[in-house]
Amino acid sequence: MATEMLGMILAGGQGTRLGKLTKNTAKPSVPFGGRYRIIDFTLSNLSNSGVNTVGVITQYQPLELNRHIQNGASWGLNERGAGVTILQPYAASDGEKFFEGTAHAIYQNIAYIDSYNPQYVLILSGDHIYKMDYERMLNYHKAKKATLTVGVMPVAMSEAPRFGIMNTDDTDRIIAFEEKPEQPQSNLASMGIYIFDWAPLKKYLTESYATDGKMEDFGKDVIPAYLAHNEPTYAYAFHGYWKDVGTIQSLWEANMEFLAPNNALNIANRNWRIYSETEALPPMFLTKTAKVNRAMITDGSYVAGEIDHSILSQNVKVGEGSVVRDSMVMPNVVIGKNVTVDHAIIGEDAVVGDNGEVIGTKDKIAVVGYGEAVGRKEKA
Amino acid sequence: MRRGEIAAIIDLNEDVHDLLPLTAHRPIGTLPFAGRYRLLDFPLSAITNADIHSVGLFMPESERSVQDHLRNGSAWNLDLIQGGVFLFPYVATRDYNDPKLRERYYENYTQFLRRSSSKYTVVMGAKNVANVDLNAILAYHKVSDAGITAVYKKMPRAWVHPTDWTLSLSEQGAASSVIRAEDRPDESGETVPVFMEIYLLATIDLIDLLDTAAQTDEFRRLPQLLREAVLAQNANAFEYTGYLARIDSIPRYFRANMDMLTESNYQSLLFSNIPILTKSKNEVPSFFSKESVVTDSLLGTGAYVEGQVQDSIVFRNVVVHRGATVADSIVMQGSKISAGATVRHAILDKGVVIGPNLTIEGQPDHPLVIGKNRTIFRVSELEGEGNA
Repeated sequence: MATEMLGMILAGGQGTRLGKLTKNTAKPSVPFGGRYRIIDFTLSNLSNSGVNTVGVITQYQPLELNRHIQNGASWGLNERGAGVTILQPYAASDGEKFFEGTAHAIYQNIAYIDSYNPQYVLILSGDHIYKMDYERMLNYHKAKKATLTVGVMPVAMSEAPRFGIMNTDDTDRIIAFEEKPEQPQSNLASMGIYIFDWAPLKKYLTESYATDGKMEDFGKDVIPAYLAHNEPTYAYAFHGYWKDVGTIQSLWEANMEFLAPNNALNIANRNWRIYSETEALPPMFLTKTAKVNRAMITDGSYVAGEIDHSILSQNVKVGEGSVVRDSMVMPNVVIGKNVTVDHAIIGEDAVVGDNGEVIGTKDKIAVVGYGEAVGRKEKA
Repeated sequence: MRRGEIAAIIDLNEDVHDLLPLTAHRPIGTLPFAGRYRLLDFPLSAITNADIHSVGLFMPESERSVQDHLRNGSAWNLDLIQGGVFLFPYVATRDYNDPKLRERYYENYTQFLRRSSSKYTVVMGAKNVANVDLNAILAYHKVSDAGITAVYKKMPRAWVHPTDWTLSLSEQGAASSVIRAEDRPDESGETVPVFMEIYLLATIDLIDLLDTAAQTDEFRRLPQLLREAVLAQNANAFEYTGYLARIDSIPRYFRANMDMLTESNYQSLLFSNIPILTKSKNEVPSFFSKESVVTDSLLGTGAYVEGQVQDSIVFRNVVVHRGATVADSIVMQGSKISAGATVRHAILDKGVVIGPNLTIEGQPDHPLVIGKNRTIFRVSELEGEGNA
């Protein structure tokens, strides 16, 4: 059976703006919300939308991501004849296939896509926090008889200059695209979500690489080419929670928003669950000295200190007399006794020794890198 | 260790009477434990850790909950290309006066054992909660002369119930028989060697035992055959020194759960070298509100706590509303404690709802048990409720 729509997740970016957190791992595998990794949202959306064949394009530090995704079973993406395939750059007789940009990454994987003979290709990035039904977007794409549909998010006009902005006519057809415009004509920001009819996209990409007009990037090259050739290109507006977690600040903010019980993401909604690779860990243990308020805590954690407005991921230990406030603590972190963690993100496997201090501010979040050991700072 | 050296038989036909109503629709093996486990997780985790690839699960009368928990065995790495979990249906109510049926009983076991092509077989149940290292037991078995190894733990005399199985140990440490505690000759000593109902023996010897039994007119089940074998040939006794609980009554079930609130027990049973594996659900992290007060408790994921929780075991997806208190209690999956309600010394089975401002209270040694999916809006609805 041919696959109607194939999902392709672009998960190869380095995410340099996440600093230490992406020094040794790709952005999509950064932990989020206590028991997820960023890519879980995209993978769960695919599974929940009935898209069962997915290629994940990796390039930068893919080890942790590969280990997380495995065969896709955690998201129900391990059907026979479908499922998740990790696509890494490889050497071939015609040269090395490293990816120079988003569109180039698709071009390099034409053989994979063709092997499923899909009618549509859904292109996603693996670094956004949101819940979205791609099937509805596909229905819209079909109804509009589009060859390209771009997922857009209405943003505040003042925010618009930070995004790629789609200008549309009153049938939602895209008439112009501006990357980070100083004087935006519209507030429809591209979410980096595209549905393409596969045959024409393949033709554009192949022809561009056969000649000199290389199409490396969807925003810079492909969308302008589609508009120039008058391809039916439409904007599909998404209304809901959507957050780009590309910076330390936005990653922290998204975690703090996730903590609010009436968060627009509605994580606890069982009709659109977010799945993750799960490990069987003991239940969380809150001791006699624990004080836990406005907090999210995950299995395997041991809390003897005070947790205020913070998220603790799996297997986190917080010793007696310690305070964790307005912070996000990633899996397997050990926080000793009498430690203060305030406005911080603590990376996986990090250790904050007894009496240590990790203190940031609302505008400058403190970060402890993966596996880093800090603290043991003697107080005067 | 070479894969397939040991096969395992888990017999889930264990007496559930003293655990009613918790066992009305589930065997002891699927009783929830410590906020996220089922008792069956303990033998299955021991099996996985010992690289055992053939597991015969002899099903209890209420099979559904076992099937639901087990699925394809992948949570314990038992979804193998060769071997895996083999389920044998419940047979206990059959009429074993019929020689044909009697033969079938033994044949179920022997067929499984022959196909496992294992050298040794371990036989265990689910009601003895422990974290056992089957490789260590095998190593001990191999260096002994006895044909059978039986596993025990020395327990304080006060812990032991009259009907508990124990071992008679010789001075050399061999087990000469398996007897009820009440049948033990008067003895001094502060501890009693409590039998954990775990046997290890050569598969071929077990097949012999079963084949021989099949040829007699008297019907004897496997546990009885094994006890008789210990009496006939003496067993090698392996002493287990980790945490042990025996779940055969409501007070013992309650106590064992509460034991996990002591850090040393929690560490020794759940955080040892042998991880306890269980089926994972994609639950959200547990949420604690601004007003919540939670101390000395174990919680599963997906809980939503606005009220107070103290000295309690709370399973996944439990809601404790504002002003509600849960103390010294076990609250199973999906239960809900409404605003202002108090639950003390109680066991709430799955999906129980306690109405607003109600007080539900049992005795410290006799917890009040509220059966699965019950909704309680008035205390009068609990009249005549079996205090265990």
